[in-house]
Amino acid sequence: MKKEKSRKYRLLQALRILSQWSFFGLFLFFFTRTRFTGEDVIGPVERFFHFDPFLGLTATIAGRAFFAAFAWAGVTVLLTLVLGRVVCGWVCPLGGLHQFFSFLFKKAKLHRPKTASAGPLKWKYYILIFVLTGSLLGLNLAGILDPLSFLYRSFAAAVFPALGHAATGVIKLLYALGLSGPAGTVGQYFESLTINPVYVQGFFLGLLFLAAALLNLVRERFWCRVLCPAGALLGLLSPANVFKLKIDRNKCIDCGLCNLQCPTQASPYPDEEWRRAECVYCFTCAAVCPTAAVGFPARDVPRREKRVSLDRRKIIWTPIAALAALPFFRIAPAVRRAAASLIRPPGARPEPEFLSTCVKCGECLKVCPTGGLQPVLAEAGPEGLWTPRLVPRIGYCEYYCSLCTQVCPTGAIKELSVEEKLTVKIGTAWVDKNRCLPYALGEPCIVCEEHCPTSPKAIQLVEHAALLPDGTVSAQKAPVVDVSTCIGCGICENKCPVMDRPAIFVTSVGEHRSETNRLLLDI
Amino acid sequence: MKRRDFMRDIALGGLALSAVRPSAFSFPAADKTPDLAWIEGESPAALTRAAVDALGGMKSFVGRGDVVCVKPNIGWDRTPEMAACTNPEVVKTLVEMCFEAGAKEVVVTDHSTNQAARTFLRSGIQAAAKQAGAKVLLPSSFRMKKMGLGGEWFKEWEVFLDVHEADKIINVPVAKHHSLTRVTLGMKNWLGAIGGARNQLHQKIHEAVVDLARFFNPPLTVLDAWRVLVRNGPQGGRPSDTEMRKTVVAGRDWLAVEAAGATLFGLKPGDLPFLVLAAERKLGRVDWEKMSIEKRKI
Repeated sequence: MKKEKSRKYRLLQALRILSQWSFFGLFLFFFTRTRFTGEDVIGPVERFFHFDPFLGLTATIAGRAFFAAFAWAGVTVLLTLVLGRVVCGWVCPLGGLHQFFSFLFKKAKLHRPKTASAGPLKWKYYILIFVLTGSLLGLNLAGILDPLSFLYRSFAAAVFPALGHAATGVIKLLYALGLSGPAGTVGQYFESLTINPVYVQGFFLGLLFLAAALLNLVRERFWCRVLCPAGALLGLLSPANVFKLKIDRNKCIDCGLCNLQCPTQASPYPDEEWRRAECVYCFTCAAVCPTAAVGFPARDVPRREKRVSLDRRKIIWTPIAALAALPFFRIAPAVRRAAASLIRPPGARPEPEFLSTCVKCGECLKVCPTGGLQPVLAEAGPEGLWTPRLVPRIGYCEYYCSLCTQVCPTGAIKELSVEEKLTVKIGTAWVDKNRCLPYALGEPCIVCEEHCPTSPKAIQLVEHAALLPDGTVSAQKAPVVDVSTCIGCGICENKCPVMDRPAIFVTSVGEHRSETNRLLLDI
Repeated sequence: MKRRDFMRDIALGGLALSAVRPSAFSFPAADKTPDLAWIEGESPAALTRAAVDALGGMKSFVGRGDVVCVKPNIGWDRTPEMAACTNPEVVKTLVEMCFEAGAKEVVVTDHSTNQAARTFLRSGIQAAAKQAGAKVLLPSSFRMKKMGLGGEWFKEWEVFLDVHEADKIINVPVAKHHSLTRVTLGMKNWLGAIGGARNQLHQKIHEAVVDLARFFNPPLTVLDAWRVLVRNGPQGGRPSDTEMRKTVVAGRDWLAVEAAGATLFGLKPGDLPFLVLAAERKLGRVDWEKMSIEKRKI
């Protein structure tokens, strides 16, 4: 018998790797384009998310409304019905990244593939059932483990900021070495990318990403095998697909290499035990087979489907567990009263609708030109983890910018034109007269008034006589906020020269989107 | 720049000033070059050109091979009809004139208040200056360096190197209302040429702008008063906050240009503490009306 690997499948494998890199590159391209590039209208940089049926399904069920852009997810569904989980194997940028890490760890001899128990493969189905049950009740937990949300959020709030710090170091080094020419060129390019280097939870989100990468040491593509609810959904859609694994009995030498090398534990050998719902059509098995015995012909005799056996009891218990868990998500005080610091982006839907549709992807965090949009930890309750809020001390809401409203993939932030956005109030500014320089110290300032972008200004100046410690009086112009014109953009708080706790600050009260977080009755 | 070099430059600069100033002020009739040009007309570009030509042309400010920094006000994310930033046509014309005079490179930059990528673009200055061949540089933290300012009050601060390192600096402010200093013209424009916690400088704004103006000491100041922001300064927000004045004022003595510009707002030098302070220190003349002025309509 001739011992020779299949050229066809080695070629297909190479094509698959090329495809994975291409889609990862495309993902990165859209990612880096998610910034102010000179136009008020940004274009569909968030399109990747719309191809994700898991996000579409959960946002539609939890939000009780279908967001039209998720029609694109139909492409993925159709592709999966016909070809199986090719999207996991050929397209998913996080899947590609995990496969790359697995490849690196194997090359570095940090990981040796070994036969693994099939038990953990079920977890992702349970996660899927848990999340879907939550969606039925209006609780959207999809974003936590959705692969695209996870990848985007990690890149936006951790990986790129870290790269930004590294780039800063390199540019400083170039200047220190006297290479001001190249340093200037690189520096200007770097400035144009507007990478925000500061994120609340950035370190924590970075650790989570690192952990996900390191899981590939435990099992190849651990995330895809065990955790990914989007992959689980596609797995459920795949049983009727066309191409089915077939092992040529005449060629097979029963070496078991295909089973060992299969990155998603689809168990190609023997082929009647092949788990079609786990197979991502990466063609590793067919490419590593020393005798070219493994193939994926377009037909096959009907045979009994080998699936990950989902325990019937657990299938019943998972939604019950989800139902039992749901009340715990609602204990948070945020349910009753809006947190003062929960300043949502302009265009954000009223809080309950916002929470049921936001998938915590981090698009808005990435696009915010001042870096003011930050991932929430506890301010919005457990459901609101990693949803966006404006932290004016880090960055304010740029007056003529509506980019965050355009990139939201689920419509949790309603798309607004710049003209529409100018009229949206997201909070109200308050002067702390005990810390304000003119009020408290009799020093001249007016920095907040100068920066107030509305015309007429929402910060007006009045003459104020401050009593100084020596008993004398100093009269200075002091700020007074006109709540009827203040939009809560927070530039006043951002620019306030009282460095630590600002003497003017924005809270969420008066935000237009809320009927209950009201300030004055006639506003 | 090392401190020693800096002290040397200051000393040389002082010498140079004492050499040049008397001739410029005392014998204006000798070469018939006026001290100030006040030009009114129908096109920002033509006004700018006429104003600089009246002062003896760009060649008297820019030498062959010079790296010139044209420093407009690009502070705010506002379009030209809001008059919060310098008129792009004025900037473009100056860049063209610098190149005509033999400049090797013209840098246009500002440390803006709103996101620089936005202010540069939406002010129209980036496109206009690039069209004329200028190098338009986004401000970056790598280019801010703490150095001695040699001021009476203002001793040390982060200075924007892309402005400071140029052979020649041309200040191109826009005339605007400001609620603390009443007006912002050329002297306050230097807040865009420094880094650091600029918002704290308002506590000593008059001392700060005088020392900054003395530190940068531009040989030429061209004040854009094509469209003047008269309320809700320094950024306005509506065209109704502005008035068309269709004027450009230019001069060698930045203090004289400042004093002249204040009259656009009906203010006399005595109304503005930073002008009084600068005059007391003899950094220039505020009695600009007594200087030789070329005032005309084109």
